[in-house]
Amino acid sequence: MPAPSPVMWILLFGFVYIAVVLFWARQAATANGNYQSYFSAGHSLSPWVSALVLAGSSVSAWFTLGSADILARDGFVHGYLLQAGVLLALPGVLFFKRSWFIAQRYRVSSQAELFKLYYDSQALVVIVACVALLFAVGFAGMQLRAISQIASSVSGGSISAFTIGCALSLILLGYVVIGGMRAIGFLGVLQTVSLISATLVLSFLILVEAGLIGAINARMQALAADSVGAQAFEVSGVIQFVAGLGRGSFYDHPVSAVTNLSSAYALLGIGLSPFALKIVLSTRNTKAIAAGQTWVLAGFFGLLVLLPVGVIGAAGLGRAEFISHSYLAALAQSSPWLTAWVVLGFAAGMQVMAGLALLVAAETVVRHVYKPFFASAMSRRQTVTLTRIFVAVLAVVVVLMAFLAPVSTSALGAFALSASAQLLIPMLGLCWFGWMTRPAVLAGVGFGLFAAFVTDALGIGILGYLGLDVPWGRYPWTIHSAAWGLFFNILVCLLVSAISQNAARTEFRQHLRAFVSEALSGQGTAPLNSYAWAAGLAWGFLAVGPGLIFGNYAFVSDGGWSMDFPSLWVWAMLFWLLGVTLVWLLAYRMQMASHVDLDITSYEPPPTLRPDQSAAEARRLRSLIIFALAGAGLIILTVWSFGGAG
Amino acid sequence: MNERNNAVDRSLLVFAVWAAIGSIGLLLIIEGFQQDVYWIALTGIGCIISTFCAHIIVNAVYGTGFSTGETALGLTSFGVLVLVFVLSVLAGGASATDFYIGLTLFGTLIVGFLTYLLTRHGLRGAFSKFHVSVGHDVSVPNGKG
Repeated sequence: MPAPSPVMWILLFGFVYIAVVLFWARQAATANGNYQSYFSAGHSLSPWVSALVLAGSSVSAWFTLGSADILARDGFVHGYLLQAGVLLALPGVLFFKRSWFIAQRYRVSSQAELFKLYYDSQALVVIVACVALLFAVGFAGMQLRAISQIASSVSGGSISAFTIGCALSLILLGYVVIGGMRAIGFLGVLQTVSLISATLVLSFLILVEAGLIGAINARMQALAADSVGAQAFEVSGVIQFVAGLGRGSFYDHPVSAVTNLSSAYALLGIGLSPFALKIVLSTRNTKAIAAGQTWVLAGFFGLLVLLPVGVIGAAGLGRAEFISHSYLAALAQSSPWLTAWVVLGFAAGMQVMAGLALLVAAETVVRHVYKPFFASAMSRRQTVTLTRIFVAVLAVVVVLMAFLAPVSTSALGAFALSASAQLLIPMLGLCWFGWMTRPAVLAGVGFGLFAAFVTDALGIGILGYLGLDVPWGRYPWTIHSAAWGLFFNILVCLLVSAISQNAARTEFRQHLRAFVSEALSGQGTAPLNSYAWAAGLAWGFLAVGPGLIFGNYAFVSDGGWSMDFPSLWVWAMLFWLLGVTLVWLLAYRMQMASHVDLDITSYEPPPTLRPDQSAAEARRLRSLIIFALAGAGLIILTVWSFGGAG
Repeated sequence: MNERNNAVDRSLLVFAVWAAIGSIGLLLIIEGFQQDVYWIALTGIGCIISTFCAHIIVNAVYGTGFSTGETALGLTSFGVLVLVFVLSVLAGGASATDFYIGLTLFGTLIVGFLTYLLTRHGLRGAFSKFHVSVGHDVSVPNGKG
């Protein structure tokens, strides 16, 4: 019996998916009362929903398909990817519980509002908005394009990638506009489980087709016997003092142990991002923070990336037919239903992150930037309507950018992680260190973003286009831009904090810190603290830091792999296990993320008069337009004078 | 609000279970028919049974049974599948393996359904689900009976 066309199955599953999406969007809209709880689902998302969606949006299709492709291309030298589950869970353990308590007390529902509340800084809000936009346009666009291309190749080219991209965006736009955060939560559950199933099925099929794990290992061992092939199984030293990618040569290959450590910082950016905080702050209580970070994200998703995704990557190493997109295109001929279903699972995995990123970006821009500056008299209904319009505009921009400017989209997506990692310092100041002052945090983030920008592809590309040719390439000294940014961020923050302590203790901040101390008093035990932090540092050093170099040879004997698997893969498995233990220790034993049952009364700010702002707002809008026009003119003039020559 | 949240959570879990495992089961059954391999379809049937069990567990956790919509959807799907299978057998398009796959699938579903009814409602209660008592529509004088 001949197999029917894959297109038919793609369309069939697509329609079923649309029906499910519309059903849940309608459910969400009904529960929202149209606009009343559009932005944060009335802080009523179930804890298990939140845990699952948080894990799904953190991992998304990027970690499953993307990591597999990177492993298939470069080998097991990217230790940070294999430790993704643990790395993604760490910021959650450190910050989510405290952020949730602060947000509940002061009735706020987003990272931008938290920063505005604590630092009283509109600049930080604008930075959060920019980070959110980077995720929505760059990170989501990158994934949209990749998934659309896979779906197009599965259909044998009969549906173009652009058409599929438009359809996926339309679905995304539909449920975000209709149901807001609640729809994202509801559908996020289904999208996350679809992503998990798709990854497991694809991994199983490739494993069977490639001759099971023994055959895959044998092929990898044969590859490792060759000096060039062996590079796929060895980190290239601790650090390389070279100018960076695109500038000069490297010893062996550009992935050193420090590349891994600095890239791990970039991954922290996902947990620190505005969209991750959004899910947490839309949740009913803190019941699932510890469980979500420990067992769902570090445990289950960590294992998913380590084994099934690792298997897909290992099978594709040196065998192009087992690289995920090639394999799916071939599978479409014999099992179109399975292929269509797997592709749909990955598309859903992309949408869980993209939907959230779109909503958070639109909300931050409209509600926290546009409204306070230019239209403070806007009602809630008008704010929701404008946000919906902005979501639609963003969705169009995402599609256009993804398909018309894929290189720029990739650069924006990569920079999103580095930029988001810079939010580590404001989050530390908010949740842990009261001595970090407002000017210090602001200056730190500013310097950090600048350093990350000029050491990343985006900054180097833009500066090059403007005629400013920097003498280093991407990731100088094999250090990821996120780490360059954090280095300057921390340095500047410490220096400025030391000289601006009089600005640290405003009455409101003291009130907030007193609340956190009181609410979480008795959390953590001092004797355990030192051991836990020592264990954390040791884990970081060995799992993704300079100690990763030991992983090159730890499981090698007599010139072969002592456990049949590549030494770095076994090293990663060992440290995944230790990493989950570490997350558990921090989350549960030190109670950094464990549930606290506390009746929180909302903070009532002292009543203040709100003078009419309309004249000032109109003036600001005029200034913004003039500034934008002048800026655009200046850029055009600069490009015309110096840039664009290649 | 709490009841509403529970209802939504239950529906979400049911959707998730069917999306994650049930859909794989269905695909494996199709794959089994296509490749004419019994064990592939048997794995799919195993997945469907696991999903059915998971659905019952979710119901138990939330203290409910199958909703009217779920029952209607399940029975309709079952009816349509049986019809398609019978028609394809009558048309002569089914191989012996296809025939055995179909018998296993429908046999398992019927046995599973009856087992569910028996364990949930007991023998008498399960029978009452299908047996329409005329007495229910007859008014009883003096409140007796």
